[in-house]
Amino acid sequence: MTGTAEVLASRLRLTRWGVVAALALLAAVYVRALEFTPLEATQGAAQKIFYIHVPSAWTAFLAYGVVGVCSVLYLFLKDLRLDRFAACSAEVGTVFCTGVLISGPIWGKPIWGTWWTWDFRLSSTLFLWFLFVGYIVLRGAVTEPRQRARFSAVLGILGMLLVPFIHVSVTLFRTLHPQPVVLKPEGPSLPGSMLVTLLFSFLAFTLMYVGFVVHRYTLAKLAEVREAEAGDA
Amino acid sequence: MPDNAGYMWAAYIALGVLYAGYALYLFRRKA
Repeated sequence: MTGTAEVLASRLRLTRWGVVAALALLAAVYVRALEFTPLEATQGAAQKIFYIHVPSAWTAFLAYGVVGVCSVLYLFLKDLRLDRFAACSAEVGTVFCTGVLISGPIWGKPIWGTWWTWDFRLSSTLFLWFLFVGYIVLRGAVTEPRQRARFSAVLGILGMLLVPFIHVSVTLFRTLHPQPVVLKPEGPSLPGSMLVTLLFSFLAFTLMYVGFVVHRYTLAKLAEVREAEAGDA
Repeated sequence: MPDNAGYMWAAYIALGVLYAGYALYLFRRKA
């Protein structure tokens, strides 16, 4: 193994601890939300799904935003590290978007009386997920790195453009989905202890994104170094 | 207050499995 591969392999052991720490923080969010946050009077226990659903959505949008920014920069700078980072962020974002699409219907069933409705917010989030699954499939189908990076960048930018549109969709369209309770012009409208739990969860999910994406990036970099070594041998 | 704690547990368990499962996938993935 060369020096670079050795350095990356040891960095991977470090980033693995980053992921473990982020998961421990998620466990702390669970304890705080389930045991130390009061029940909401009208929705009951199902309302607590909000503390993991909304931060999952925030993190998915953050991840897809990063994909878009890296993609724009790639088209200008042609630096393959940006393409690699975008790819890692897209994969991690899709995991979080899957979390949104799982937790949303589980909340919808007791509160709306249905698992799913073709409401704009729900449908556009599903299409965003499809778009990034397409992004991942596209990357697997194109083998030439520069071509793969260019095609992916275009798709990544289109995906990013959907994100702000999905955020404001609840005010643009008649929708069943609740309005934003934190990110809105007049400020958060949530009782103190619930807001603390939500903000703590936002922090934990953001750190979980950082932990996942840094580890995934290091893995991707190491795979490329090993592939190059195998090609040289 | 509605009795819907089962949905809450289902969501928390499902997302816990998803995120811990993804971490496990990353740990086991060959570089």
